[in-house]
Order: sequence, then C-alpha cells, then structure tokens
Amino acid sequence: MTTGFRRGSLIVLCGLALIASCASGQWLNYPVPGIPRLPDGKPNLAAPAPKAADGKPDLSGVWMISQGPYGGNIANDLKPGDVLPWADALAKQREENLGSDSPLIHCLPAGPRFTAEATNPQKIVQTPALVVILNQNLTYRQIFLDGRELPADPSPDFMGYSVGHWEADTLVVTTVGYNDRTWLDGAGHPHTESLRTTERFRRKDFGHLEITETFDDPKAYARPWTVKVTGELTPDSDLLEYVCNENEKDVPHLVGKASDVKGVEVARELLAKYAGAYAGILPNARPIRFEIYPSGGQLLFSRNGSAKQPLTPISNTKFMALGVQLEFLEENGEIVATQFIGAAGEVRLPRVREER
Amino acid sequence: MKHTLVCGILALGSFPLAGQWLNYPAPGIPRLPDGKPNLAAPAPKAADGKPDLSGVWMIGIGPYIGNITSDLKPGDVLPWAEALVKQRHENLGKDDPSKFQCLPLGPRFTAVITNPQKIVQTPTLVVILIENLTYRQIFLDGRDLPADPNPDFMGYSVGRWEDDTLVVTTAGYNDRTWLDGGGHPHTESLRTIERFHRKDFGHLEIDETFDDPKAYAHPWTVKVTADLMPDSDLIEYVCGENEKDSAHLVGKASDPTVKGVEVAQEILARYPGVYAGNTFSGRPFRVEISLSDRQLLGAGQPLTPVSDTKFLRPGGAQLEFIEENGEIVLEVNDVAGLVARLPRVREGK
Repeated sequence: MTTGFRRGSLIVLCGLALIASCASGQWLNYPVPGIPRLPDGKPNLAAPAPKAADGKPDLSGVWMISQGPYGGNIANDLKPGDVLPWADALAKQREENLGSDSPLIHCLPAGPRFTAEATNPQKIVQTPALVVILNQNLTYRQIFLDGRELPADPSPDFMGYSVGHWEADTLVVTTVGYNDRTWLDGAGHPHTESLRTTERFRRKDFGHLEITETFDDPKAYARPWTVKVTGELTPDSDLLEYVCNENEKDVPHLVGKASDVKGVEVARELLAKYAGAYAGILPNARPIRFEIYPSGGQLLFSRNGSAKQPLTPISNTKFMALGVQLEFLEENGEIVATQFIGAAGEVRLPRVREER
Repeated sequence: MKHTLVCGILALGSFPLAGQWLNYPAPGIPRLPDGKPNLAAPAPKAADGKPDLSGVWMIGIGPYIGNITSDLKPGDVLPWAEALVKQRHENLGKDDPSKFQCLPLGPRFTAVITNPQKIVQTPTLVVILIENLTYRQIFLDGRDLPADPNPDFMGYSVGRWEDDTLVVTTAGYNDRTWLDGGGHPHTESLRTIERFHRKDFGHLEIDETFDDPKAYAHPWTVKVTADLMPDSDLIEYVCGENEKDSAHLVGKASDPTVKGVEVAQEILARYPGVYAGNTFSGRPFRVEISLSDRQLLGAGQPLTPVSDTKFLRPGGAQLEFIEENGEIVLEVNDVAGLVARLPRVREGK
C-alpha cells in the first residue's frame, strides 16, 4: 500500500485539483528596498539576517519552503507502530480513494499542514506583537507575540490558535485548537483536536529560514516527533493570488481507486527516446528542470538536480511519481517537450538541446 | 419549495462559538478609570510617526450592504448592469459568488461587509485580515500600480499618506465579484480609491470611491464608519465548510410560492422597531425594521415573507420574529456567518 507509485498518484491528483492558472504579473519583479545586494545588483542571500526595529530578528519576506519527503509523508521518520492503528488504517483508506476526500481538493484551508507542507510561497509579515503568515490561496494565520497564554479551551478551527515568543534568535510558536478536518500530508495522515504543534523559526542568514515543526497528538501517534524543513527567500517578488474555489471542478473526476491503477509495460526503444533534459518556468515563477534517464527497462528522473527516482508508466507517453506527472510530447517523430503536472501547477517544458 | 429555500439558508449559517480569547485585554489601549477602553482618546501613532490604523474594526451596517448605488440617480447604472442586477435579484441571489460559491469578496470588501476586519500596519505594508480567512495587501513602499495587472479577486493596492489619511488605490480586479448583496456588477476596469482616517482611538472613517466607466455613468463615493472592537479578535469562519447548499436554492424571486405569501397588515405592524444585541460570536449588532407601503423593510431593504414570521432579505439573510412572553425577539441568520438573537430595544412603526 505504501509504494512510491500509489503515493505518487495521490499527490499528482491532489496537484491536479490545485493547479493555478495565474499568469506572471510584472510586479513579481519589483526590487524591494532594504535587500542587501551584490555588486551586480542581485540580492545577497548570504548576508546576515536583518533585525526588526525592536531588535528581534526580522523574519519578514516571501519564503518558499522545501518540504523534502514530509509533503507526501509527514510520518516519514516514524517507525512502524508509531502511527496508531486507526490513524494508519485511515491514511491507507484515503490513499485507496486517490485522495478524493482531501480537504484541499474541497478548497478547505491547509490547517497544521501549513509549515512543512507548503508548495507555494508564503509571506511572513512581522510586527512586534503579531506575526501574520499569508498564503497564496488567500488564507492566513496569526501568531500572537503580545505575551498572552494559549486559551484553555479553544474553539477548534482550521488554523488553530498560535502564540509565539523569542528564544534568543529563534521564534518559538505553539499552536492548539485545530479542528480534525485537515490532513497532515498528501498521503492523508490524520490528526485529532488534541494536536499541538511547536514550530521553531530561525533566519540563518538573509536568504535562508530554518524551521522545525513538532507534532504532538497522543490520540493518533504514539509519541511526538519533529520534522525539519528549510525556507528560501524569494526576493523582489510577491504572492500571486490563487483561489481554489475558482477552479474546483476536479472532484467529480476523482472516481477511481488507487488499487485499480497499474503501471503498464513500455517498450525500451520508446523509453530511450525520452532521455534528455526538459526545463521551463512554473506558474509560481520558479524555474524547474527535469532530467530523464532510461535505466534497466524503466525511466528515472531527477528534478532540479535531486537524486534520481523511478517513474511509473501509465501509458506509452505518461509517467508518474511522487508529486509528478510527465507526458512526453512528440512532433514530427521527435520528442520536443514534456507536459509537467504537479502541485505547483501545469507547464509545458521544452526539451533542452544540449551536447551530451 | 419554500421549505427547501428556508432549509437551504438555515444550513448555510455558521455558529462560531465564542472563545475566551475574545476578551483578551490588549496592551496599549487607553482606558477609562473603570478599565473600559477609552474609545474617544486620540488616535494612536505608529513608531514611524504615521497614524496607526491597526486594530479589529467592525463596519457600521448601512444601506450600502444591500445596495452600493443607494446614492446614485436612475440612469447612473448603465442598462446592462441594471438588467444584470434585476436578473440576480430574480434568482434570489443564489449566484452570489462570495456567499454560495465561497469566493473572496473582492472590492465589496471595504464598505459592504458584516464581519470584523483586522488591520495590521507596518511602515511599508498594510495587511487587512477578514474573518472568512481571506486577506488583502496594500503596498506602502512607494511602488506604482502595475500598468497591466493580472486581474484577480482582491486587486492590486498601493497606498500613501496624505496628512493623517491613508489613501489606497486599487486596480486589477477580476469581474467575478459583486459590489453588494443586491448583485451590482463591476468590470475589470474598476478602480477603487479608499481613504482611511482614524478620527479617534475607537473610530475609523472610510470613504470608498468606485470608478468603473464600463458599468456606471460616473464615479461615486460612499462613506462608512467603523467601530474599534477592543480586546477582541477575529473568529475564523470558513465558507467552504458549510457550502454545497446552493443546490437547494432552486426558487425564483417571482415564483408565487416564494413571493406569494400574504401576511396580514396587522401582523406586519407588530414587527417594526430597533432590534439590538450581540451576535452569537459576541459582536454588537443592530438592525432597524420598518413598514412602508404594506412591505416590511430590514435596514431599508425589502423583506420577502415566507411565512407570517419568517422573512428573507436580499442577499440571503433570514429573519424570524419570535414572540416570547409578549415581547418580539428577532433571530437573524446571515449566510456570511452572522447569527444573532436580538431583543427589540425600541418599538417603531
């Protein structure tokens, strides 16, 4: 049940429902004042982390979180048995349903999935007494820094109730009061209203944010655990509004079961035709590059230089993996591009002509 | 039919529970000797010397909620826009994008909103948070409006200070939202100019100018005021959580089963007056019911009777008059999440 392919198909389908068709606006390149720059005018991302007027580290900025393996599986580092049986069974059932009951597909807020599971940029707005985190999907969360305590009996909601304090250069945020309607990851790991999260935000230098998030939900997991993710500053840029309900039409199409979907056999000579590099720009203005390698009767891919992973063929031209669907496009007998679909959007990536 | 309609609307109401943090005494609020916030104290200044607009604000309920063009003359609304408003009214407002499709409010945002908003101000950016878990950004860093913005729900806003007033210009709206509960449309040419002035600690004056030459003959300005809600905060309200009920709203305004409920004049005459109290989420709320030409009006908007005691307001709110120990109590259930049970504080006619 936990093969890469099944998880992959789930993530891709989630991604399909979330695709934003926003065009890049010219304001995405507004040079923001106050950013340290190199002699060539480019932002100096290795410069020291800035300070706010009150002397605290200033976390403000537009950040892209690299979620690593946790986006697909927040329980990646847990041992068998750490996920309580009911929660494990529910995650498996959600996978089997191809994620069609994902709250994200129904355009609900991401809830605690928020920090470790963002595939879109987030903007931190910091004031001395309040931090606001803005998401591209127009949702937000508030973190109170005015010294108040967590409520003893919060009314459960999607974003929970967050209070934060500074421990040296680290902002420590504790959140309770989540409802139980959201998933912790793309695979469907559940949580209960007892969930408490503790996030630690540290701006290592101008361009890099280190975040750890601890999940403590004794009704669903045998022990608390912590995941580490990193955020990269997206300088001179901003959020592009993406409204889920505007495009929410994919739920009726998600009618299959994961166990119905099987890989197909693709001839080796076809696989060989797909070898090469494909590159372009995602709807969120991030560059993306895939390298495709035929190997032992299957295709491997590397995304933005990451480790090679296998692709599962679902037709002669379509292939899937965790968070990725690629369809190779042929013109006049030549493979000219691949159509990429992922949580960050859908884009046609032309084949890059390179001397090999 | 009428039962379906009423059930649909009932199902759309949310009942946010009041949390105890709604009474967290925020530091920095000037107080009277009895500890209550002094709302008449001078407006505070931010660290950069500008007026500080930060706070949780509740816009006063006025005629613009149902009709943003209240002050316009006949003919000011271009014919195509007028025809579209009539059609949306005939459809009982069930194609209202922000209520039944859970889409963001767009430019309807400032003047025509029944939920609190929170202003978060920094020297270069103002963020306005709305209870329905959407927000807008206003850039104060000196940038210009984009020449050819990509249209979206909230538009692209830049602001600057003119003395003590924050002047915000917004362009780049898409044309998918309504300007009010009555369904007045706008085009992508819409440009709004808002002027925010914090008169004193507890009161914000907002003028909003609408300029959309493709839908309205000339620009016009509405004035609203907002009251500070001290020691309080937003309560998350997620529309999509309760949505999917628009399918049950299958009537037409002209449908006799909706419109045709005749309520005797002597029954209608029992309801006028001012009803005031707190919503279930702890907000002060006040509505005036009046009787004009055998028709009951709620805050100036005609109410459609669906029974002797239940009435619908354009935009989808349901009002029910309940008699308790000889007193009339008004229950309001607004699809945007405003739910209240209000005693009559003054009888009217």
